[in-house]
Amino acid sequence: MDIFSDLVMGLTIAISPINILYLLIGAVVGMIVGVIPGFGPSAGLAILLPVTFGMDPIGAIMMLAAIYYGAMYGGTITSILLNTPGESATVASTFDGFPLAKQGRAGPALVMQAVASFVGGTVGVILITILAPMFAQVSRSFGPPEYFLLALMGMLTLIVMIGAQWKLGVISALIGFALGTVGVDLETGQSRYTFGSAELIGGIYFIPIAIGLFGLGELFYAFYSGLHKTGSGGIVEYDKEERFWPTAQDWLSTRITMLRCSVLGFVVGVIPGAGATIASLMAYSTERSLSKNGDNFGKGEMAGLVAPETANNAASSGAMIPLLTLGIPGSASTAVLLAAFLLWGLRPGPLFMEQNPEFAWGLIASMYLGNMALLAISIFAIPLFVQIIKVPYRVLGPCVVVVCALGTFSVHASFVETFLMFGAGIVGFFMRLYGFSAAALVLALVLGPLAEEALRQTMTISRGSFAIFVERPPSLWIIAITIALVVLLPLLNRFGNSSSGKAEKAGQ
Amino acid sequence: MRIAFFVALLAASIFYSYIAFADLNFMTRSGRLGPGFFPRILGATAIVMTIWALLDEMRNEDAPHGAAQQWRDVALLMALALGYAVLLRLFGGLVATVIFLAVALSLLNRGKPLKNALISVLVPAFVYLLFDRILNANMPPALIDLPI
Amino acid sequence: MDMTFNLNSGWLRAGALATAFAAPLALAAPAVAQEVYPSGDETLDWTIAFGPGGGNDIMARSIIEILNKYDLYPGDIQAENRAGGSGAVGWGYLYGQSGNPYGISTTSGSFVTTPLQADTPWEPEDFTPVALLATDDLVLVVNGDSEIQNIEQFIENAKANPINIGGTGTVNVDFIVPTLFAEKAGFEFDYVSFNSMSEQTTALLSNALDAMVGNPGEILGLIESGDLRPLVFSGQNVPEALEGVPTMGDLGYDIGVSMPRGLILPPDAPEEAQSWWIETMKQVVETPEWAEYIRSNTLTPTVIYGDEFGTFLSNTKNGFGQVLRSVGAIQ
Repeated sequence: MDIFSDLVMGLTIAISPINILYLLIGAVVGMIVGVIPGFGPSAGLAILLPVTFGMDPIGAIMMLAAIYYGAMYGGTITSILLNTPGESATVASTFDGFPLAKQGRAGPALVMQAVASFVGGTVGVILITILAPMFAQVSRSFGPPEYFLLALMGMLTLIVMIGAQWKLGVISALIGFALGTVGVDLETGQSRYTFGSAELIGGIYFIPIAIGLFGLGELFYAFYSGLHKTGSGGIVEYDKEERFWPTAQDWLSTRITMLRCSVLGFVVGVIPGAGATIASLMAYSTERSLSKNGDNFGKGEMAGLVAPETANNAASSGAMIPLLTLGIPGSASTAVLLAAFLLWGLRPGPLFMEQNPEFAWGLIASMYLGNMALLAISIFAIPLFVQIIKVPYRVLGPCVVVVCALGTFSVHASFVETFLMFGAGIVGFFMRLYGFSAAALVLALVLGPLAEEALRQTMTISRGSFAIFVERPPSLWIIAITIALVVLLPLLNRFGNSSSGKAEKAGQ
Repeated sequence: MRIAFFVALLAASIFYSYIAFADLNFMTRSGRLGPGFFPRILGATAIVMTIWALLDEMRNEDAPHGAAQQWRDVALLMALALGYAVLLRLFGGLVATVIFLAVALSLLNRGKPLKNALISVLVPAFVYLLFDRILNANMPPALIDLPI
Repeated sequence: MDMTFNLNSGWLRAGALATAFAAPLALAAPAVAQEVYPSGDETLDWTIAFGPGGGNDIMARSIIEILNKYDLYPGDIQAENRAGGSGAVGWGYLYGQSGNPYGISTTSGSFVTTPLQADTPWEPEDFTPVALLATDDLVLVVNGDSEIQNIEQFIENAKANPINIGGTGTVNVDFIVPTLFAEKAGFEFDYVSFNSMSEQTTALLSNALDAMVGNPGEILGLIESGDLRPLVFSGQNVPEALEGVPTMGDLGYDIGVSMPRGLILPPDAPEEAQSWWIETMKQVVETPEWAEYIRSNTLTPTVIYGDEFGTFLSNTKNGFGQVLRSVGAIQ
């Protein structure tokens, strides 16, 4: 088999002591940049890129790639412990991760997220290894009509996020959409809601809003509920001896979720521009509608944490496909990797893997090793991180403010964004207090601009005709999958439930 | 407070819609969807929804109100956070963080001056080392010692 | 614009720019130094108006490396990334150092477009121009499966059928170049604006677009493999990798617009500083390292100096402004 000889060759390149060292450095740095809110993989990569000048390209790419997928492991830790997403792809992990921590299950939650990350990452690399050429076809079949349909599909997840108080949920989403319209209008180049500020030309970035709404908002709410006055305890009573490892129930209830979300996350990751954030949100809402315990999502359901975690790691592997097979970066992080390729004199494109087999397969092989290393590092680091929640809130609170502020600033060195983060924190508190949905707002902020731009591009291309959505095979596929998800699955679920209900009755 | 928040939201959506209708075109000259297309729809929907929710709130008088005590602590923390934002702008990441932590902890974690002092020095020092020395990341620079 | 950023770049500086650790107080000192420019005691404060890893950053650091390698600048050079607001922050910082011969910065496309879009206190003409060193030019490509083999067929087809062309952004050369080209060649098209090169490239590969323009450097791999077919190049000289592709000038449709990559000093910098830098850059562009930089970034070497560069900037700005105003992108 060709693939195996390629992979073995890759492994022999990757397993040299110096390359393993680079890989481990990358994994640890990735964990750290992932843990710091705001400081996501793309910022970490851009800042560490200059360090790799003069290094051997294979060792360097192994290190940079490890930073990239390592950040996905670290990003969830603060989502679970502090309700502060480390970066945009881990917002969905706060939905059930933080409730789990509040129930005193921070240990199991952290272990499960590490395992989920490992499964997602590894399934992703396996898919790259055996099916890269096939998925390259997927990458290149996405034009504006498909992006618009994808964004619509993502918005269906909004319905899940909106929650019980639907009017307030809709208002939250509208605020998110409105924030998404700030900046230069892509099509006409006209500035909208920038009020002459150069800082706002590029639009309102997702990170300060998410950190403010979730991290600071939750903190203010904790003070409102008087958590800072509870004696010596932190957020929760935590007992390491008893509850560090997940229960058998945790494993059993999530194994299908892990597999399903690995594939889903990978496929979304393969599509340039969709990325880990959308993958994690879609995985969350898909699992929620498929799960028997759907109503428990958001209240500390393990599958609700595992789903987005598996998906975002699988997506970060998937994003390697357009990079390696077409030379097209699908995300901000892979764009930095592409810049690195160019700096080292490599020419990414469809011939890249043929022309540089050592490089490409060394990288792929290193991703197997890197995911294993990250799983081990995560498990060892968990007892350390769990110490955070033993700190009383009145001490932890100010430190969280510091981390949120400096983390936000580090991304673009922007005071405007830092102040936005503080503003979002205060608004986030009131939203939380009065029953609005921060999740719907953030999701709308991500999907709104994507949908608007893609629709307007599509209408320009089709000269105003909607027929374009059914004329292109990829579009038809997405429509079919959406219909299957929205219409057929709930029907099947209902049918299954009612028939089992009948069986019970019959049994009586 | 509840009503005030909704009124503020309403004001914001009216302002948003005003700009959408006054400055942004619904269609472009060549007949495509214009920059104002979505903002106008969004703004109008937001006004309707907010008024609807506001009316609900006004009917719903017996909504739970927080105790004054609760509000005092939240307001304190918010004020501290905003003060920190200003300090960051003026004195940069390191100095502002030391001042903020010292003040915040002395107010929130009373009676442990030694522990508080240690935290307000060690945490900024650690963050500075991590961001500035190891990760080579951006820290807010000080305004005061730069030419204007 | 007093928003200035002092990124203490421990690792970045450790290599080529070893010694400089002085506080960034560049403005306070120069009034004293009135002898020969440049004085070896003065630290050169090099503003990079974008973050690490971007085009502007790579250009600035390449020049600094050459300056250091050939000992062209006597003192220390301290490079700082002052990113934010599409360059408004960094160039705003340089603008604030009026008259200082020890502040310097590199320009890129945003140097012209940002002031058109936002209320920056500065305009490109305000600065002291040193040299235009290279330009970013664009290549027009179609899908490799397309029936269109060359630019003549493309224009013919465009005159007969409605077509669309994709590009990145609207307040950008990506929009202005095909617009001017179409005007001269006598065809019409719908411009489809994308957020990034990767989105427009997939759109073209998926056959949603008829054609697109982009920097050749990012799509060379796809051109080489035959997935994309280059038709025409907007610069004066075709880069090596695109040999055989005609330029717009070859066709008689020269448009004379490109993104300037050059070097500027603060407003009203002393004349001896300007002429010293012009002489120095004349040496820099002769080095093999510079040739390698141009080659690996697929730039077009276009070198003009001093006030001629100033005129170039002001022409580019006016040209952009005119096109963008005519389509209503800016007021």
